[in-house]
Amino acid sequence: MVYLDYSATTPVNDSVIDTYSKVCREFIGNPNSLHSLGIQAKELIDASTKQIANLLNINPNEVIYTSGSSEANNMAIKGVCLKYANRGHHIITTELEHSSVIAPLNYLSSIGYEIDFVKLDDNGQVDLDDLERLIRDDTILVTIASVNSEVGVRQNLSKISEVIRKHPKIFFHSDVTQSIGKEKIDFSLLDLASISCQKFYGMKGIGALIKKEKLIIEPLIHGGKSTTVFRSGTPATPLIASFAKALRLAYDDFNEKYQNVVDIHDYLIDKLKKLDVFINSNDYCLPHIINISLNGIKSEVMLNALDEREIYVSTQTACSTSDYSKAVYSVTHDKDRASRSMRISLSYLTTKEEIDYFIKNFGECIDNLSFRRNL
Amino acid sequence: MKVIKISAIWCGACLITNKVWKQLKDKYSFDAIELDYDMDEDEVQKYSPGEILPVFLFYSDNRELGRLVGEVSFDELEKKYLEVNE
Repeated sequence: MVYLDYSATTPVNDSVIDTYSKVCREFIGNPNSLHSLGIQAKELIDASTKQIANLLNINPNEVIYTSGSSEANNMAIKGVCLKYANRGHHIITTELEHSSVIAPLNYLSSIGYEIDFVKLDDNGQVDLDDLERLIRDDTILVTIASVNSEVGVRQNLSKISEVIRKHPKIFFHSDVTQSIGKEKIDFSLLDLASISCQKFYGMKGIGALIKKEKLIIEPLIHGGKSTTVFRSGTPATPLIASFAKALRLAYDDFNEKYQNVVDIHDYLIDKLKKLDVFINSNDYCLPHIINISLNGIKSEVMLNALDEREIYVSTQTACSTSDYSKAVYSVTHDKDRASRSMRISLSYLTTKEEIDYFIKNFGECIDNLSFRRNL
Repeated sequence: MKVIKISAIWCGACLITNKVWKQLKDKYSFDAIELDYDMDEDEVQKYSPGEILPVFLFYSDNRELGRLVGEVSFDELEKKYLEVNE
């Protein structure tokens, strides 16, 4: 089996599972309870939060635990826009966002908010002049993902932040789901950031919204105060402890792991150049993601052919309705290529042997499918 | 004239097109109906919308006069509206 879909989700690290099960067994109290078992669980959550905050170079009070990035994106976008509706109803985003950003924006659009899409340059990066041009007196939020999940284009959060900071009433949210654990993020540039543990070898069902301490948002879930008034519900002690563990492990040997991915990326690119495919990812992309287009073969057909050989890649996000990928189009300006794209996503765990196995089988699949097409 | 817009909350092209849909509604007087691809599934399937969203369906006397599929500009939407209205 060769797994090359690490951007969709990562396998959970064994140590993270150990932490999760140990906390399930040994920290049974509700962290809101006043007895010693509750206090013990609360102390573990506080220690975990402190560890997460230290790793991300933020304040522990800025961490709000969620079920993952989708909830964090909803919480950030609806939370800010509903809270600050008196300031305005204008939001700026890009065409590269995940559906969990698009959906709350669509909801807000249905109740009168106006959404504009900033232009992208030829590399798929935000056109800063257009961003400046779009900003209005009633703009309240700019939401731009740090890395697009399909192609891997990195946005320059620092430059974007510079433009936004000229307008102190505008909040800057970034879905950093595809960056976290892969590259260091400067959270001081952002008012709000969404993260998910499943992208860095943690458990599914836990993530966080990183929110500047002074920023007030409208909660999505109302209830008791618990760890925060912004997201009620009994804190999931084992998931939170496993979050801290996964993040700590992701930050161990960070640069070495990153270099491993760069090496394996370069190795794969060299091999792909010898096949009948177009490479869509460019120098501005995270090395963990390589997007390619197939020549005359539907990407879903290729996905199934590879699946039969126990090789796992992905095509355009399942929940898209366009006949071509906007993200791929933004870097290729070619609708045909954008309609035949496939994502290969890498990990520091990916080996050259796996790449060799993939390339051998991928080449055979191209030959077989091209042959069938020409019959 | 009845214009039906079929869209989904998670669809980026639908979000982009909200603005031109509003412009059309502001500029012309017609019966505007909005259907959600997921929530109004039974009603939506009557129109055989296909897999690309949004879909704009132009109806008069219960007869489909035309449709537009996918992300469209205001000019394209208006052109179609005027064309079927002739």
